[in-house]
Amino acid sequence: MLEGAEFYFNVDHGYLEGLVRGCKASLLTQQDYINLVQCETLEDVKIHLQTTDYGNFLANQTNPLTVSKIDTEMRKKLCREFEYFRNHSLEPLSTFFTYMTCSYMIDNVILLMNGALQKKSVKEILVKCHPLGRFTEMEAVNIAETPSDLFNAVLVETPLAPFFQDCMSENTLDELNIELLRNKLYKSYLEAFYKFCKNHGDVTAEIMCPILEFEADRRAFIITLNSFGTELSKDDRETLYPTCGKLYPEGLRLLAQAEDFDQMRRVADHYGVYKPLFEAVGDGSGGKTLEDVFYEREVQMNVLAFNRQFHYGVFYAYTKLKEQEMRNIVYRSSSFEVPIL
Amino acid sequence: MANGDWTTWEEAGSRPQFLGPMAAPDLRAELDSLLLQLFQDLEELEAKRAALNARVEEGWLSLSKARYSMGAKSVGPLQYASLMEPQVCVYTSEAQDGLQRFWLVRASAQTPEEVGPREAVFLYPALRRRKGLTRTPEPESFPALRDPLNWFGILVPHSLRQAQASFREGLQLAADMATLQIRIDWGRSQLRGLQEKLKQLEPESA
Repeated sequence: MLEGAEFYFNVDHGYLEGLVRGCKASLLTQQDYINLVQCETLEDVKIHLQTTDYGNFLANQTNPLTVSKIDTEMRKKLCREFEYFRNHSLEPLSTFFTYMTCSYMIDNVILLMNGALQKKSVKEILVKCHPLGRFTEMEAVNIAETPSDLFNAVLVETPLAPFFQDCMSENTLDELNIELLRNKLYKSYLEAFYKFCKNHGDVTAEIMCPILEFEADRRAFIITLNSFGTELSKDDRETLYPTCGKLYPEGLRLLAQAEDFDQMRRVADHYGVYKPLFEAVGDGSGGKTLEDVFYEREVQMNVLAFNRQFHYGVFYAYTKLKEQEMRNIVYRSSSFEVPIL
Repeated sequence: MANGDWTTWEEAGSRPQFLGPMAAPDLRAELDSLLLQLFQDLEELEAKRAALNARVEEGWLSLSKARYSMGAKSVGPLQYASLMEPQVCVYTSEAQDGLQRFWLVRASAQTPEEVGPREAVFLYPALRRRKGLTRTPEPESFPALRDPLNWFGILVPHSLRQAQASFREGLQLAADMATLQIRIDWGRSQLRGLQEKLKQLEPESA
């Protein structure tokens, strides 16, 4: 790809980059978080959010206010911004946006399938699906019995179709298989996204590839951590690791054999990027968990993406930072819903 | 006849009872010990209530941490069926003093699994059967008792497991609290009865 994005990027994408930088400026600041921490009820949270860029987004909500409603409204707001970017984008940025929405589509498909397992009505689940991952064939997902059914009948026309390569099997979809399906889909998706960014080259590759490598390695670590003590075999576990990260291939092979946290830590110690992260993990309760440390690193990388211009990474970074903000607000607000017996 | 030995005729519905001499001090002693027992029970109940609230709060915060990692809609009512088989059942039995006690019994003896992290399941079997119906143990009609943790997937974060452990501990406390409350109610009615008797014995010192 011809280097020198600064010569031609703005022709097609300059308006959107300017817009996303403006949106980024409206993310919550340290002061906003201090105010949120001092809130005492959900109404306080609503009032504080009115002074930020969120404004009156909760104005139409009926009482009582719940954390779930706040979460849904925040998501809708992000979705509106994202759809605006997407509708005004040109290739190859539009493909980039499509790749971004695939991860939400995967989550929605899994939500629908789990709901079918629990005999929930489709309408009930559709309400809770992530708006960014909406696609027209969603309502038909629950009729599928096996992954090949799912592919042939429902998903063959969607952007998720290419990710089904390793997932076709005749196994019925029970909980274990749904979890395996989710992780395999995500692995294919991540590897495809990585390849797209790498092939695009230029500043986009320089920014996005490290972010996606980190995402792949993080998934490998978290899958390993959560699989201790479960019925997932080591071989199955290894098939779920995305291969586009720094850990591939030796690290992943070692990680597949790990049986506890310390063995995982020893694998991470081989990599200069991950050693300090594992050292920051506190022991037991009270300290940071591995997930916290990973979230912090992700946010760091996303913020740094804004230091370069003329690349698509700013859109990815903005969406991820906004999601982190929503996670923070929901986590803070959930302490107001603790039941007292 | 001493004045305090017979109940007065004026009290409607009361029949004269011969309580014997020294009835009043005995009654007072009994009253005192009952009161002490009642206060002890109340203190224990308050301690257990504080512990239960602490467990529920801990569990709830662990649940929100799990939502933080997994996504807010991935840990919620969508993940479990509206009808579920309880894994822990409440049985009642009569103790020697005629009071009911509540026991928690795991539904299947083979798999050492207990109630999952949902508040609905946590409250549901206890409240429904609190009215003291004796429940016959069900035959092995549970097909396969799965850990409710698996409703949320196979690879669940550690915080969800912690939430399950907290709610499990809270369940035992709830059963103990129910037993204590029955004892306290009984104690209060006994107390009232004794106070009535004392009033009848010694109308001037009421």
